[in-house]
Amino acid sequence: MTMSGQLAFWVLAAISVLGAATVVFGRDVTRMVLGLGAFLLSVAGWFLFFGQTFLAVAQVFVYVGGVLVLVLFAIMLVHRAEGKDPALTSRHDVDIAAVALSVFGIMVVSLRSVWPRMTEGPVPTSTTQVSEQLLGAYLPHLEAAGLLLLAAMVAAIVIMGGEGE
Amino acid sequence: MNFVILACALFALGLYGVMSRRDIIGVLASVEVMLGSGTVLLVGLSSSMTAASGVRPDPGALTAIGVLIIVVAAAEAAVGLAVLVSVARILHTTRVDGLTEVKG
Repeated sequence: MTMSGQLAFWVLAAISVLGAATVVFGRDVTRMVLGLGAFLLSVAGWFLFFGQTFLAVAQVFVYVGGVLVLVLFAIMLVHRAEGKDPALTSRHDVDIAAVALSVFGIMVVSLRSVWPRMTEGPVPTSTTQVSEQLLGAYLPHLEAAGLLLLAAMVAAIVIMGGEGE
Repeated sequence: MNFVILACALFALGLYGVMSRRDIIGVLASVEVMLGSGTVLLVGLSSSMTAASGVRPDPGALTAIGVLIIVVAAAEAAVGLAVLVSVARILHTTRVDGLTEVKG
């Protein structure tokens, strides 16, 4: 990896770890959303780092532009329903930390076998290749994803409007 | 190789958040962290790995799978947040401890 590649790696790593830590340990709801935004942007950065430009743009559009705004709206609606900002509380426990650490250990050990097969530079992808795959071999998957999104939208409307006010 | 450890650590951090957070919004945000780190791991591994046969995976197919993961995650977030707002409106709490009954 080149010097700039190393630098990009560590900057991205710092942003993602800080963002994720704010999401998990933060006490203030606004800060938690900002941390989530930083984490989601760093995921887009990782996609760029791996040469997946299309995925990076989709990540920014869908997550930072869509999901994050949705989270903010949800917090505002909860504020209206409860009369105050949702309280952020956690129950930090050794047992929970032990489970999370064990999962981390299992993942690293099980992924260790692929390390020797990893090459240095990721292959960049052009949008043409992506569209050829999405509208070719993966067309049924794309249709299913569209159907899933429609179902999720209808479900969200039904759940939100079910009780009425 | 470093990013594998990093993505695994982020996944474990998200898992810790899901189990330790006591309010729905925190649990949902932690699930997003788990999903994000999982996607980074998948995309990173498949874009920088050579299969045992020596053939590299088609990068276009890899991105197509990544797009599908993003779609599923977006649908999950939409339904999850709708449930959150609905629960806050009906039960006047967003704490997971308060959700003790399942009723239509």
